[in-house]
Amino acid sequence: MYRYDDLDRQMLTDRSNEFRHQAARRLSGEITEDQFKPLRLMNGLYLQLHAYMLRVAIPFGTLSTAQLRRLAWVATTYDKGYGHFTTRTNVQLHWIKLRDAPDILDALAEVGLHAIQTSGNCIRNVTADPYAGATADEVDDPRVWAEAIREWSTVHPEFSYLPRKFKIAVTAAEKDRAAIRSYDIGLHLRRTRDGELSFEVMAGGGQGRTPYLAKTIREHLPASRLLSYLDAILRVYNRAGRRDNIHKARIKILVNSLGVEEFARQVEAEWAQIEAAEVDLPDTELARIRAAFQPQVFDPQPAVSPVFEAAKAADPEFARFARRNVHPHKVPGYAILDISLKAPGETPGDASSAQMETVADLADAYSQGEVRVNYTQNLVLPHVKLADVPAVYARLKEARLATANIDLITDIIACPGLDYCTLANARAIPVAQAIAKRFADPERAEAIGELGIKISGCINACGHHHLGAIGILGVDKKGEEYYQLSLGGSAGADAELARILGPAMSGQSIPDAIETLVETYLAHRQDGERFLDTVRRTGLQPFKEAVYAVAD
Amino acid sequence: MKVLTANSLTTGEVVFWNAGRWAVAFNDGQRFDGDEDAAGALTAAEDQPRMVVAPYLIDVEDMDGHWVPVAYRERLRALGPSNHPQHGKQADGDADVQALAAVTSSARSTGRIKLIRR
Ligand code: SF4
Repeated sequence: MYRYDDLDRQMLTDRSNEFRHQAARRLSGEITEDQFKPLRLMNGLYLQLHAYMLRVAIPFGTLSTAQLRRLAWVATTYDKGYGHFTTRTNVQLHWIKLRDAPDILDALAEVGLHAIQTSGNCIRNVTADPYAGATADEVDDPRVWAEAIREWSTVHPEFSYLPRKFKIAVTAAEKDRAAIRSYDIGLHLRRTRDGELSFEVMAGGGQGRTPYLAKTIREHLPASRLLSYLDAILRVYNRAGRRDNIHKARIKILVNSLGVEEFARQVEAEWAQIEAAEVDLPDTELARIRAAFQPQVFDPQPAVSPVFEAAKAADPEFARFARRNVHPHKVPGYAILDISLKAPGETPGDASSAQMETVADLADAYSQGEVRVNYTQNLVLPHVKLADVPAVYARLKEARLATANIDLITDIIACPGLDYCTLANARAIPVAQAIAKRFADPERAEAIGELGIKISGCINACGHHHLGAIGILGVDKKGEEYYQLSLGGSAGADAELARILGPAMSGQSIPDAIETLVETYLAHRQDGERFLDTVRRTGLQPFKEAVYAVAD
Repeated sequence: MKVLTANSLTTGEVVFWNAGRWAVAFNDGQRFDGDEDAAGALTAAEDQPRMVVAPYLIDVEDMDGHWVPVAYRERLRALGPSNHPQHGKQADGDADVQALAAVTSSARSTGRIKLIRR
């Protein structure tokens, strides 16, 4: 996997030294909070309800075991012994002290981790398919391109003060596991008929107050021209994006007010002006990055593992884990293994330091030293031999990390909500916990099948409620925590925004309402339909009637 | 009644004003009857930028014999996050904290809560 070079490391050390001095000046009273706040935010340090929060970037969700161990160490030494993995594949530490922050940034810099561009109106952490480099359905490792974007966008002088934050996601697989259409720019790499790598470029996606799915502005962009084309998009946005109203400043508003054709036309015109050679990645650079992501050597394995098959036959719980959390790998005899951070009753996305250590140990022993963070707030071991899956499972189980619920009703996305976040209207975590406990019976959850519940504590939609088969949004109704349900959203290739079901309801009514939705689905389900398919076929009406008839 | 709160600059911890000093427990915070006293304290607190960040006044009310913040958000700040009962001020679990937690959860079930308003 990609390792930072000396240049990158020097930059991180310099930045953390700089922050040490800035923080010292704030603590001594030399600079005011108003002067200091933008500086700390530029280093990922927010002040939340109970403490400072440090948001650490995990580029394209790829972690080395040294990095994961360092995160565990920081969480133990400076926080309360856990980290929270987010829908942006970042990790947040919720109990940080300002006086410790410079030391933490130093400790992170040593392993190539940082918090740069995790805040502010700049190009944020680039995300990618969590199965990159492991899945058979990709045409290339998308992280090669995500890394090129990371290098191009890191402290980019022209794009460090955009109208608003800017997020880019990349996939190179047919199945979109990176929610690319919910991004400011979504990039889908494919091979053309003559074998060339080419991006479908989508722009103007985003969630929040005014959700939009990104629209295609160019069907075929030769992959080698990626950076100049991104430059052109960012220039058009930087020039014309609104700066007068924070709610209208994202690129989605620009794309939709100009219309996608006009926006694309302006991008093409700008692109024609750009000196491509100065921006596009030279072949040598691409080769250097590509080499860093060179596929590992995989020992030849039999496609069917007798050990794996025997374990499934012997233990129904393990068989369930194999069905839910183990996915095909591009190399026969290997598997991609999802680690759920959604044990019913736990906080979605939280991992204790001990759990992080366990995952790091397992990755070293069984997954070529690599760990991935999925935007669904789960972790992934990308390269596990099928024959090793039973051993990995046993260790995960000891660490309470073997919940077999990937994509099921208990695999809930939830933002930190009012328990931590200063912007929240309502809590999200306890709602997720209550639903997960209600559906904790794994057999029942599996019988219900694929069902994504996504919860946000406010309209900013960090919990992706617009993209939930069931979306739950916390609202403030006359000063009380209320929740608005919406149905039919999805993030993948069939991306669609969820539609509001009806009036908001209290937190206590949510588990019953979910129960009613599930029963309605089961009553209407036709062969092989997921919850989402049924909702799309029947529309909202039967669900609305069921939920609000009970509520009345 | 009002209480003056902020976050400590060095640690980020929630703190409450009492006669020019900052206490960590909500119940050790000074309660202001008159708006003028409260405003005066706020001005004084804003003059302590090396101690705290963004001081502000919150409404508190007497509920079943216990002083509690009116806004649910402020109760969470006074107690800690509801998903980790061992984190934040609630971890100490003294009588005041227990009373605040009890009032908070009973308020929840009777719907007598106001959330975001400070
Ligand atoms: S959705 Fe709102 S409450 Fe949740 S983390 Fe984002 S800003 Fe905070």
